[in-house]
Amino acid sequence: MSSLQPNVDSTNSETMQRSNPKKRRKIGHSNSLSLVPWRSETQQRIYSSKLAEALRYVIHRNPPSLPAKSSAGREVRETADRVLAATAKGRTRWSRAILASPLNRWKLRRMHKKVHKASTGLPKKSPETRRRLPVVQKKARVLGRLVPGCRKLTFPNLLEEATDYISALEMQVRAMTALTELLTGGGSLASA
Amino acid sequence: MSSRRSRSRQSGVSTEITDAQITDLVSKLQQLIPELRARRSDKVSAAKVLQETCNYIKNLHREVDDLSDRLSELLANTDSNSAQAAIIRSLLM
Repeated sequence: MSSLQPNVDSTNSETMQRSNPKKRRKIGHSNSLSLVPWRSETQQRIYSSKLAEALRYVIHRNPPSLPAKSSAGREVRETADRVLAATAKGRTRWSRAILASPLNRWKLRRMHKKVHKASTGLPKKSPETRRRLPVVQKKARVLGRLVPGCRKLTFPNLLEEATDYISALEMQVRAMTALTELLTGGGSLASA
Repeated sequence: MSSRRSRSRQSGVSTEITDAQITDLVSKLQQLIPELRARRSDKVSAAKVLQETCNYIKNLHREVDDLSDRLSELLANTDSNSAQAAIIRSLLM
């Protein structure tokens, strides 16, 4: 049963493709999901160009003299996140969540209350619950809040999403840093 | 641990979550986090990995926020022409 192509078998992010390891050693660090190789330079270039285009649209939409600096920053942030999610090609949950509800994210981030529940003590640590200790569970919950759209995921899915999200965020930081440096350099050149 | 990996039997969805899966995912996550990359995976508990993951993601969010603010200032201050020139330059690079 495992001789069939694993790609066709589970293209969705639900199942773990462990049944056919010989087909699955991709060069990126990505695991079973056919994810975007966030580390590659090509990917960063794709993201940078998309981001540049989106930002150009944004600054043409709003007049350059934006009084509220904080809202401009937030717009840039939202644009960057949306472009990032679009670059992800919708294969991951967090990207779909970002694209689905951009407003929701900011409201949630504003009202980020730290809910410190007293640990509903699991008195017995049977082997079943051992792999999900309350400590780990609490941290997993925090993690689920940080990664967009991942609140109700099972633990392994959450970890998968988190790994992809971290790589994507790192690429986002790299791309935006490069863009910032470019604009800083370009600004001084233009004024000369 | 007994390998209870559900190969693709009749049900396509693996309902069991094995320890091996989780350990594997946790170790992959650990490799991504620069703080924990140097330490051996058997010395770092899952809770620590999760904690550092959360911290790392928060840091990345903060960096992105800072960069967004800087970018927004730069875009607002620079002339639209020079901004476009810079963007075009970035595409060519």
